[in-house]
Amino acid sequence: MRSTRGLDWFVFFLADVQTGFGPFVAVYLTTEKWTQVEIGLILSVSGLTSLLGQVPGGALVDWARSERLVAGLAVALIGVSALAYAVLPIFPVVLCAALLHAASSCVLGPSIAAISLGLVGRSSISQRLGRNARFASIGAGVAAAVMGTFGYLLSSRAVFLVTVALAVPTVLALACIRADDINPDRAHGAIPRTDNKGPSTTSIAVLARNRPLLEFALIVMLFQFANASMLPLVGSFMTTQSASWAPALIAACMIVPQIVVAAMSPWVGRRAQSWGRRPLLLIAIGALVCRGMLFAFVRDPYLLVIIQLLDGISAAVLSVLIPLIIVDVTYGSGHFNLAQGFVGTATGLGASVSMVFAGYLSDHFGNEIAFLSLTASAATAFALVWLMMPETRPQIAHAQE
Amino acid sequence: MRVKRSDIGLVLAAILLVALTQVVAATDSPKPESSPAAAEPTVTVIDGAAVRGILGRTVQGADGKDMGRIVDIMVDPGGQVRAAIIDFGGFLGVGSRKIAVSWNALHFAGAVKKRDDIKLEATRDQLKAAPEYRDGNPVVVIGSTGALETLDFPPATTPEK
Repeated sequence: MRSTRGLDWFVFFLADVQTGFGPFVAVYLTTEKWTQVEIGLILSVSGLTSLLGQVPGGALVDWARSERLVAGLAVALIGVSALAYAVLPIFPVVLCAALLHAASSCVLGPSIAAISLGLVGRSSISQRLGRNARFASIGAGVAAAVMGTFGYLLSSRAVFLVTVALAVPTVLALACIRADDINPDRAHGAIPRTDNKGPSTTSIAVLARNRPLLEFALIVMLFQFANASMLPLVGSFMTTQSASWAPALIAACMIVPQIVVAAMSPWVGRRAQSWGRRPLLLIAIGALVCRGMLFAFVRDPYLLVIIQLLDGISAAVLSVLIPLIIVDVTYGSGHFNLAQGFVGTATGLGASVSMVFAGYLSDHFGNEIAFLSLTASAATAFALVWLMMPETRPQIAHAQE
Repeated sequence: MRVKRSDIGLVLAAILLVALTQVVAATDSPKPESSPAAAEPTVTVIDGAAVRGILGRTVQGADGKDMGRIVDIMVDPGGQVRAAIIDFGGFLGVGSRKIAVSWNALHFAGAVKKRDDIKLEATRDQLKAAPEYRDGNPVVVIGSTGALETLDFPPATTPEK
């Protein structure tokens, strides 16, 4: 089917465009003789925008009648901002580009899930999300390799120009998804009407009273709080141990989980239907608990890379389950994307607090205490899933909507 | 914003001053301890091919490996450059940290050519134990032998109240 193929490639290229130049911003601006204060300011503005923009971004996707148009514009804006970085790296231009990039990402995150849901409907969204995660992971891996090669051989400016070039196939892939195949009501998590009364949506206040959604957001926040600073801490540790091998080992620590996600996520998509959501969620968070414990005590750099397999398991499960559980708990409300934005904010909040917290603990009490504290947060998330989180898989398999 | 602009100005001025003394030391006087110019407003024209800014430039270790980029310069109250801050190690921003290296351990023979690296008399593995540089904390500087030394400003040069 043409539209689902289009979605595969859209997800693949989007991973390149969306995550592509992020890691190179600091290096690039340093080579352009920016001071650390200015670079820090740009990174903070960009981080804050991607945090605060999630809810408005989700609301925008819910409001729009064409997810394709919104996603296409967002990709184009990322292309423009990459071009701005490359051509005119002066403060006001880069500030605007950083804002534009962060804001577009806030729209693109929910829009992939929205297009998927609008395309395949609730009955097969689980498998579709598994497939999305595989293509996103391969895309991100290829992006890192391509960008890294260009950055190394040419200059860090080349990375931004590659991003501009990659925006073209991204939009083309998006154009392959036929507009008629996406049911906009379904994409917003509303139940499509056959009569002419328009989409059935409910008030936003429904989300604030949606207990499973709030619980899930809390769990995801605790997970991210534990997860986000583990790799940076391991990376810092590695550079203090074997400086000549550290870059290669850190690269391996980033690639190993990507491979696991690419291999495992379609399986997760199928199992989420047959086993249900809870067992998989417990596996993902359990893997994080084990990883935190191991990181606290293992010192051998090669073993640390192997432990990153656990990161892959957590990432493979959550990249499928986060949008899937949100579909489960908001279906019928018509505010699926707003809910995604809400959970996205919780995730981002957990991640940014994590960096500060873990950095402080590591400086003052050492890595063991830092890792054990992060593990405690993961264990809390595990207990919450065990005690509170209901199974959200629909009771009767919706045959066809 | 205004504070930041003047910061850049300071850094650039510091770099220019350093580059200038280097050139003067290299070409004119064999004495390495040439005293800094007094505050007389004079105009000096330097050959454009003789000096170059160093902010953001890559540093090469004694074994030819990439050591990171210069991101800042440390000066003492006397205006003497004591150390350079380089962004060291890591991959795609993960695991890298800022460390201070002694100004004396850096060699700028190739620095005026755009493609040549600045050389550091230390290897990556000698730098691995260096603590991260943080504003306000004592600055631990890597010397030319790879040894760590705390950078303390001599009390004689601190302005008295």
